[in-house]
Amino acid sequence: MEQTRRDFLKTSVAASAAATVGLPVTQAVQAAAMEAEEGWQWDKSVCRFCGTGCGIMVATKNDRIVATKGDPDAPVNRGLNCIKGYFNGKIMYGKDRLTQPLLRMKDGKYAKDGKFTPVTWERAFDEMEKQFKKVYKEMGPHGVAVFGSGQYTIPEGYTMAKLMKAGFRSNNIDPNARHCMASAVVGFIQTFGIDEPSGNYDDIEHTETVITWGANMAECHPVLWARVSDRKMADPKVKIVNLTTCSNQTSDIADSEIVFKPGTDLAIYNYIAREIVKRDAVDHDFVNKHCVFATGPYDIGYGMRGTSKYAFEAEKDTQAKELKITLDKYEAIAQRKKEGQVVEQKNRAKPVKHWQISFDDFKKGVEPYTLDFVAELSKGDVDESLESHKKKLKALADLYAEKGRKVTSFWTMGMNQHYRGSWVNEQAYMVHLLTGKQAKPGDGAFSLTGQPSACGTAREVGTFAHRLPADMVVFNGKHRERSEKIWKLPAKTLNPKVGSHITKILRSLEDGSIKWAWVQVNNPFQASANANHWIKGARAKDNFLVVSDPYPTVSGKVGDLILPTAMIYEKWGLYGNAERRTQGWRQQVNPPGEAMGDVWQGLEFAKRFKLKEVWGEHKIPGLKGKGYENGMLPSVLDEAVKMGYSPEDTLYDVLFATAENKKVAWPHDPAVTKGHGNHIAEKLGDGWFPEKALFDEYRQFTVNFQHDLADFDTYMRDDVRGLKWPVIDGKETQWRFNEKYDPYVKKGMGFEFYGKALKATPTGNLDKPTSKEKKKLAGKAKIFFRPYAAPPEQPDNNYDLWMSTGRVIEHWHTGTMTRRVPELHRAVPTAQIFMHPDDASKRGLKRNDVVWIESRRGKVKSIVETQGRNRPTKGYTFVPFFDESVMINMVALDVTCPMSKEEDFKKCAVKVYKA
Amino acid sequence: MNLSGILVVTTPPEIDALIDTLNAMPGLEVHNVDRDSSKLIVVQEAESIHDEIDGLKKIKKLPGIVLADMVYHYFAEDESLMPELPEDLDELTGMPQSVVPEYLND
Repeated sequence: MEQTRRDFLKTSVAASAAATVGLPVTQAVQAAAMEAEEGWQWDKSVCRFCGTGCGIMVATKNDRIVATKGDPDAPVNRGLNCIKGYFNGKIMYGKDRLTQPLLRMKDGKYAKDGKFTPVTWERAFDEMEKQFKKVYKEMGPHGVAVFGSGQYTIPEGYTMAKLMKAGFRSNNIDPNARHCMASAVVGFIQTFGIDEPSGNYDDIEHTETVITWGANMAECHPVLWARVSDRKMADPKVKIVNLTTCSNQTSDIADSEIVFKPGTDLAIYNYIAREIVKRDAVDHDFVNKHCVFATGPYDIGYGMRGTSKYAFEAEKDTQAKELKITLDKYEAIAQRKKEGQVVEQKNRAKPVKHWQISFDDFKKGVEPYTLDFVAELSKGDVDESLESHKKKLKALADLYAEKGRKVTSFWTMGMNQHYRGSWVNEQAYMVHLLTGKQAKPGDGAFSLTGQPSACGTAREVGTFAHRLPADMVVFNGKHRERSEKIWKLPAKTLNPKVGSHITKILRSLEDGSIKWAWVQVNNPFQASANANHWIKGARAKDNFLVVSDPYPTVSGKVGDLILPTAMIYEKWGLYGNAERRTQGWRQQVNPPGEAMGDVWQGLEFAKRFKLKEVWGEHKIPGLKGKGYENGMLPSVLDEAVKMGYSPEDTLYDVLFATAENKKVAWPHDPAVTKGHGNHIAEKLGDGWFPEKALFDEYRQFTVNFQHDLADFDTYMRDDVRGLKWPVIDGKETQWRFNEKYDPYVKKGMGFEFYGKALKATPTGNLDKPTSKEKKKLAGKAKIFFRPYAAPPEQPDNNYDLWMSTGRVIEHWHTGTMTRRVPELHRAVPTAQIFMHPDDASKRGLKRNDVVWIESRRGKVKSIVETQGRNRPTKGYTFVPFFDESVMINMVALDVTCPMSKEEDFKKCAVKVYKA
Repeated sequence: MNLSGILVVTTPPEIDALIDTLNAMPGLEVHNVDRDSSKLIVVQEAESIHDEIDGLKKIKKLPGIVLADMVYHYFAEDESLMPELPEDLDELTGMPQSVVPEYLND
């Protein structure tokens, strides 16, 4: 490259970077920069990776991405990018990008044991349809399933949720987001009656205290962490506390690092609550007006299978705890019971039930959680003195309890991926509500998310086995009715029976109760704990597994049909981030080869089904209720005819390319499209703009229903860098439930927790409900008492180390995209096992030794790292899950929070020895 | 050639020494200095993005740094900038290429 060109480029990079962060540049420099960028088209977009939702500017030239930069106008990241964000433009150009459908074939025919062979889309859909119809005929709606995603764009998630629920009448669609934030959702719904945070990222600039619980923000939410660091530098009053089970980079700027034993966060929260009560730091006015106290049963199991039938011999002892446990010394104190008492897990079927209690009962509940008790139980570092740990816990309680001090708590997977994840989420609100530090600028418990649209798509659209759009649920008749109306479906089309959550879909593939599944925008066979079982299930003779993916993955390899899929900037889309911000982008470049977007794949598949094939009568196991006699989901074909549909109509006609939607024409208004193409609309060729039509249809669910979204074109505007819902009269909502900011709060209330779910409960005492009569609590939040419970699997003499999985900054999830960027791959080519140097030497190991990591469920090889960025205490190990050659999920345990069904990837017992 | 624009935030007493240090580091040039906010824009040139990441890590470790993060990334349209994964990478680790049992592909 010529010197002058290089200098030009450098000037351009500097000018762009300066402009991005608001530094002045001279006109001459700007002119030079413009020249260097000649022929580039810049457009706003959103980062593909985590739930932060950073704005990214993308430059294209000749249908190829040539540069990316942080978006200076994006309120989330204000021009900054993290290392992953920096590579958004590159993830699409890996050398092994899939460009043709691949079907396992032998002698020209599909064969389960065949080799992957390139086929046409037509042939691919033919086989998919044939296999689907076979299973659907034999088993009905519950025999098929979709693995959805928190990385679906909103139109993608909406297309698939509607196709499954309204078309196939099956609720077996569940996203990988189940593994990321389902516990957070349960916490929100139980506490506030509505999903997602009250506050937003601006809490960082307003607060005086940042407390991180099980969230390595420095590495996993680096851009938000940059805002936290800025805040800390700007104000000496600001204090940061990092609560973690493994010393990490987040501790670097923290005032205090509290290393605790896995699972004892439950006890630490109760200690804080006890201190708040003892010191009378309770905001009585706030609590009396806006809160009630509640609790629920303790004996709810651990989300494992109730039978040992499918368990490997070695895992049977852990599995047995699903039905019965013996209380250890600490649990006995924490639950006001006796050590050694055997507790049958009687409430496994109804773990979410709860009842209101008095403040006196609540106080009784937290009474055993003294500093002495909690410090002894929770101290995670054997080398730390008990006195030092006590001092830190007390200082933590001081911060929460200090009157007038603003406190923001952040958490992610440490609290969500937890055998009692829903409880610990509720406890976060417990301490904030007790002190009135919630739903105010700088004050609030804030659940961060891991995926770019876990909120926007998985949760808000409702691509879960139990959900419908806008926080509605399939088991609520009124919600089904409202959905059927908006979707123009005959009454009783929607299936009231909750479908299978993602772990259950995997278990069902193993036990034969689901036989056809479609994987979209995720990699469940690498990302789910106890993977040996699920890989076996995928390969079972009768099962047919379709995997849509841009790259070959573990899931692809165990699948039967792989569909080449378009990536982020190859399609139009919208994502919703962790602060309720919905953001949209245009298609920037065309997908390579025959790769196609997920929306198109869903729509094309819908063309292959006539109403008469899916809207007849179906037997649904476990379905009960009036109108569903003998477990039958009734035929709605007669009603459909009355509504003007024909049994010969396809699901494409009835659900998607409706007369209304077809009015939304492609090509669309040039002021919105700005010359950008749409490979999906162009391939469909019937003149409509599916992403816009479907988004605006979906929007009807949200408006005047506490979830108001703006219309599609608004999100595409250059002066809109996303809007935080509810968006009312074009204005976003900064802090929900607070009269000053949220139009949904009734005037004069001050605060109102207006979410509608679970707003009447029985009443009782700490142990049980005493009156079945439901007491209303409209407008109020619940402060839950939840006890400490011990992790069901802990290190013992044989498996003598704790093991947690997680992320490193360079890689995203299962590495499908980031490992295709050679530079990122080189930076961290393989997943290491982070362990304490003494634990290594005790086993005769040193740094870089190849070892086996073995649990009751399986073993993998990895490399020892004793000096890395994660610095585990003695007895504790950490292994990232991005690397398919160190498939740590073969070792991890598929315990789930029984309420949220989210897997606990953070706690299991392993042994490590030289390979 | 890979170019990145890096925002560096420092403090007034440190700024001059830091500019000298940065300019003396290979591949780095300080392009913009804003003394009011103690912010600098540094342009980094490196052979590979791996070197760029290393470079950023080195900057982060310098004394007087409050914040250093990438803001801008340029990569030429040139195919040679998207090389295939070096084969020795997987050999380095001694790991099998895939965890999926052989029989699955038989």
